[in-house]
Amino acid sequence: MGTIAVATVSTRRRRSSSRTDAAIERRWGYAFILPTVAFFIAFVAYPFIRAAYLSLSRWAGYGTVEFVGFHNFVALTQDPIFWQALRTTILYTAITTVVQTALPLLLAVLLNAGWRGGVLFRTVVFLPAVVSFVVSGILWQMIYEPNFGLLNRALRAVGLGGLAQGWLANGTTALPAIMFVSLWMSLGLFMLIYFAGMQGINPNLYEAARLDGANSWQQLRYVTVPMLRPITAVVVTLNMISGLKVFDIVYTMTGGGPNHATEVLGTYLYSIAFGSRTASIPAIGYGTAVSMVVFVLAMGAVLFQNWWTRKARDERD
Amino acid sequence: MKMNAVPRIPEQTPSLSRRTFLGFSAASAALVAFPALLSACSSDSSSGGKKTTVRFWTWYTQQKDEFPKLIAAFEKANPTIHIENRLFGGPNDYLPAMQAAVSAGDPPEIFAPHVYALEYGKAGVLADLKQELGESFLSDFFDSANQEYTTGGKQYGLGWMAQTFGLYYNPDIFARAGVQVPETWDDLITISQTIKQKTGLIPCAFANNPANTDFLFPFITQAADDPTLLLKLDAQTDGASWNSPYVVQGLQKMDTIIKAGVFNPNSSGVQTPQAEASFYNGQAAMMFQGSWGPQDFAQNAPASFVKLYKVAKTPALAKGGKHWCANQAGAGLSVSALSKNKAAAIEFIKFLYDPTRYTSTMNTTNSMPATKSAAAQVQDPILKDMTSWLINGEGSPHIMFGKGTNDAVSSAVDAIFAGTVTPQQAAANIQDSVKRAQGR
Repeated sequence: MGTIAVATVSTRRRRSSSRTDAAIERRWGYAFILPTVAFFIAFVAYPFIRAAYLSLSRWAGYGTVEFVGFHNFVALTQDPIFWQALRTTILYTAITTVVQTALPLLLAVLLNAGWRGGVLFRTVVFLPAVVSFVVSGILWQMIYEPNFGLLNRALRAVGLGGLAQGWLANGTTALPAIMFVSLWMSLGLFMLIYFAGMQGINPNLYEAARLDGANSWQQLRYVTVPMLRPITAVVVTLNMISGLKVFDIVYTMTGGGPNHATEVLGTYLYSIAFGSRTASIPAIGYGTAVSMVVFVLAMGAVLFQNWWTRKARDERD
Repeated sequence: MKMNAVPRIPEQTPSLSRRTFLGFSAASAALVAFPALLSACSSDSSSGGKKTTVRFWTWYTQQKDEFPKLIAAFEKANPTIHIENRLFGGPNDYLPAMQAAVSAGDPPEIFAPHVYALEYGKAGVLADLKQELGESFLSDFFDSANQEYTTGGKQYGLGWMAQTFGLYYNPDIFARAGVQVPETWDDLITISQTIKQKTGLIPCAFANNPANTDFLFPFITQAADDPTLLLKLDAQTDGASWNSPYVVQGLQKMDTIIKAGVFNPNSSGVQTPQAEASFYNGQAAMMFQGSWGPQDFAQNAPASFVKLYKVAKTPALAKGGKHWCANQAGAGLSVSALSKNKAAAIEFIKFLYDPTRYTSTMNTTNSMPATKSAAAQVQDPILKDMTSWLINGEGSPHIMFGKGTNDAVSSAVDAIFAGTVTPQQAAANIQDSVKRAQGR
């Protein structure tokens, strides 16, 4: 009996001690994540809630904030420049996502095949990635300059003066010209991501494919591409998000012009909210409504990435 | 048996609830943000011991060398006041910073109001300078400069540099082509064709990146022969509509000039420095530009060119017609009504506009003054000529203060340059766009 009583007390003490340890551990856990949560609330959650409220308000950045419900969103549906900016943003995102996913993959495959001078090539292609978008935008604006720019001068020098034109002044060529700069900047980074991913593919898979008679294209089609699917999902998502929220490169190169031909949601919301380029009275509530549209689109891209990654993982498992 | 790496914690364990944790996190978040708020609030107060700080924000780079000298002289005469000078590179950099400061309720004591003077004034952000400085102080400014900053009997800004526009030209190229200074827009088209044929040069350098609305406004005033029309259009008063005959006529004339090949190709891709360079490097015979041209040429062009170039009035619509053009002061100064250091700011304003000092500042920097006394003493011959146009009464508004006006007109000018709309469509688009903007 006495032995049982001692054992019970001992068990209770052990349980009590275990509970105390767990509680202390839990409190330490909270303490560790507290700074992150506090910063998240201060600099992400609160500004987001505030932005959501402003999107339902009329406010010029001074004076009182007037709650107007969904008025800004209704006004957006009647705003032709908003629709143009939305179309351009989607077009820009679609084209840059496809090109900036496919081309780096192909270059990575070529590099992986063991080119001579591959390291030098990789370095050169990667260099633009370390230059900021603003600097690149200004640099390319000078290259595209119609009268004294490097591109037109080069065209004239090789007898192709007929092709020389105002690349950023022409509504037809301005957007492709910006897309090219985006490709120039991102090619190296995405190529490296793919190249790193290829190092993780089991060489036995290629050997097996070769034994089955697969040629180079078939090895790429049936081994490399499927094995890189999780990486492709990341590259596609990064491209989609950067396309949807594109601002700096467009703003520095064309400011959304000419005649809104390169207007994207980022430049449009900025010019509405701050009226900086055309010196209009700011409409921060309306501009924030545009930013909410960008948020919804970016959210869709993230959900798409989650779905794709999960699908790729399930297929692999 | 399934193994759990983490021991299950009994429910009755005394622990921090998720709600308590989130509450604690929110309090911590407030603490995180507090220093930022504190620093924002403290910037309104004095710094450096007992000195009163006056923040002075502009993008007036023409006076970049003069402001430090003026500030040093002022601080020497007023040892209890410290002027904190912040000079931005241009309006694109300046406006977001200025608007953020205003939104935070802490604008600089003195700042360039751009086109926001009236809206900020009505919202109580800017001080009424009529009350602070008195009528006699303001009477020396051009009426147009005072008028643009006045609403409801209160004045919320002072002109710093006045503006007009002109047709700068290279007399050597004119001589080679055998052409004379154009009196009308039709003359401009005629001589442009001659210049192209005889010299192969660009007739007139023009920058339309961003959209150059300053070029359109004189056409509208000239078509109506009424300098008040633009004010009514901007304010949308007296039944004025952008979708009206005078605006259409103005847009038509602009369209005709563009299509006649007067300007450099790809104008919508050309920025002011590039257009100026093509003019002073001898690649263009003329340039339509504001009265800040002489400052830019003095800073960037070869000395031989600075001695050579001349300026003509903005062409008129018909022979003998008035050469209506701009006369306001896009570069102005306002004083914050929200700062407790307003009195010190007013002292600095009085110091800057001391007639002798202001005249010297404008002459040293080749700037067009906004006061009559300084205008009478302009030394640069080109600026002297241009300033006389303001005095002789051919000035008209060119700065639009109305909500959505600049956006709408910019889009229309861009579309006309791109050839994607007719003048009639452009006029209708401006009116629609302004109406939409007013509902935002």
